[in-house]
Amino acid sequence: MNLLPDTYHIQQTFSAYCRTGEKVTLPGVAPDRLKHYRRLVFNMINDTMEGAFPIAFKNIPARKWSKMVKDFFSHHACQSYQVWKLPLEFYTYAVEHNWEDEYQLPYLNDLLAFEWAEMEVYNMEDITADAYTLTGDWLDAPLVLNPEHLLLSFSYPVHLLAKPKELLRNKGVYFVLLYRHPETGNVEFTDLSPWLAFLTEQLVLGITVRDILDYAPQLNITETDTLEQDTLDFLKHMQQQHFVLGFQS
Amino acid sequence: MISGEHIRPDFIEFAPENWMNIGGYWKKVLHQVVEKYPVLCHGLSLSIGSPEELNREFLQYIKTFLNEYKVQLYSEHLSYSKCDNAHMYDLLPIPFRMDAVKHISTRIQQVQDYLQRPLVMEIVSYYTPVAAEMSEVDFINEVVKQSGCQLLLDVNNIYVNAFNHQYDAKAFIQQLPLDKVAYIHMAGHEQVAPDLIIDTHGEPIIDPVYDLFEWTLQHLQPVPVLLERDFNIPEMAELQGELSRLKSICHKQWKLKDELVA
Repeated sequence: MNLLPDTYHIQQTFSAYCRTGEKVTLPGVAPDRLKHYRRLVFNMINDTMEGAFPIAFKNIPARKWSKMVKDFFSHHACQSYQVWKLPLEFYTYAVEHNWEDEYQLPYLNDLLAFEWAEMEVYNMEDITADAYTLTGDWLDAPLVLNPEHLLLSFSYPVHLLAKPKELLRNKGVYFVLLYRHPETGNVEFTDLSPWLAFLTEQLVLGITVRDILDYAPQLNITETDTLEQDTLDFLKHMQQQHFVLGFQS
Repeated sequence: MISGEHIRPDFIEFAPENWMNIGGYWKKVLHQVVEKYPVLCHGLSLSIGSPEELNREFLQYIKTFLNEYKVQLYSEHLSYSKCDNAHMYDLLPIPFRMDAVKHISTRIQQVQDYLQRPLVMEIVSYYTPVAAEMSEVDFINEVVKQSGCQLLLDVNNIYVNAFNHQYDAKAFIQQLPLDKVAYIHMAGHEQVAPDLIIDTHGEPIIDPVYDLFEWTLQHLQPVPVLLERDFNIPEMAELQGELSRLKSICHKQWKLKDELVA
């Protein structure tokens, strides 16, 4: 490196100011001009987070939100050279620093995870699905699913409800499937029962519906006469929705 | 824009960082665009002025991307946006110092060697000098001389810097190695104080910047010209009006009919 320690230190001081806004003295720098760098840099970060987490931004009191973004940007060294991926770092930082407790927002991790997942699935690289046919045996043929999807579990129904009080009243176990429509590119999501979440997880592994149904009693699922038919109805519906693509060929 | 119905650029410029490893809807759009228009890329995250080592993984992505989309020109900023291993996603001013010249020139050469193409470095707008030991124009001249890079002349940036730091824009431009200019940017800005303009890319180009552009063209060989507009985007017809005005100036000064204006 050709940089002298003094120049290196000046660059570090300048960038540290942009991250924290804490007063610094730099040779030749006009303080009233310097403040614009902090404003421009921080606005960029703030706008990115507002855009990525619109529901969280709306739900969380402005002062708390501002404190979160400032805390994140001051203390976290942003790693992504693609700014659209920065919200993942924000979400990860929130989990690692236990913001649920610190900010008394028990649903925060779930909400940030859900909002990030929408963006991730929308932008994720194209994944080629296995070869499939449109007709086949629903029970005994391995199904081919749309590979551009995420299956998430939550303690709060952040995919169904927006108001914080309602979220808090409905703590439980929730599963949500997000997938990208192959033609429009839009992200669709659907709420799943624990059984359907298990089913989806097993189908991804290439297990047939019949084998998954055989496993149902071990999950303490009260087997009913309609379980098989309900399961097949769900899968046929999901075929219309472009999540189930077809039958392995 | 893709249909060319409302606006007809001669080429398209985008930041590779915003499009690398993207799938779905935006990848389809990207493919439609590159099939229809010549592509130039203007990077955001190279951070050539960073004290740290270059990010080899990032450079590898850039190289693959530029080759995959047959990008004709790759430009970046003469600034830094990463320090202490943290990205800041904005263009911070490099101290105008000889050790910084050597540091940056070495890095530019490394990038050029790796990408096997010249880097076109943009003279950025800045709002305060930082611990300068040499003039801005000497700094730029030395970087070009030592690195062998080309220049992206953002005429609005020169106007903004001349206003903010009270120098003569034309005199500044005349001192640059103009034979190294490979690309021109034009944009609007916002005056936020009696003595300060911020380079926002959020307003139309103002007449004095058009005037400086026309004067500058008299001293340059023809190169591509890009209109930048990052937000506060008006109707396409208004942008087309700006493009047409730029094109008409290029035609007048360069006596060509196939200027590349976008």
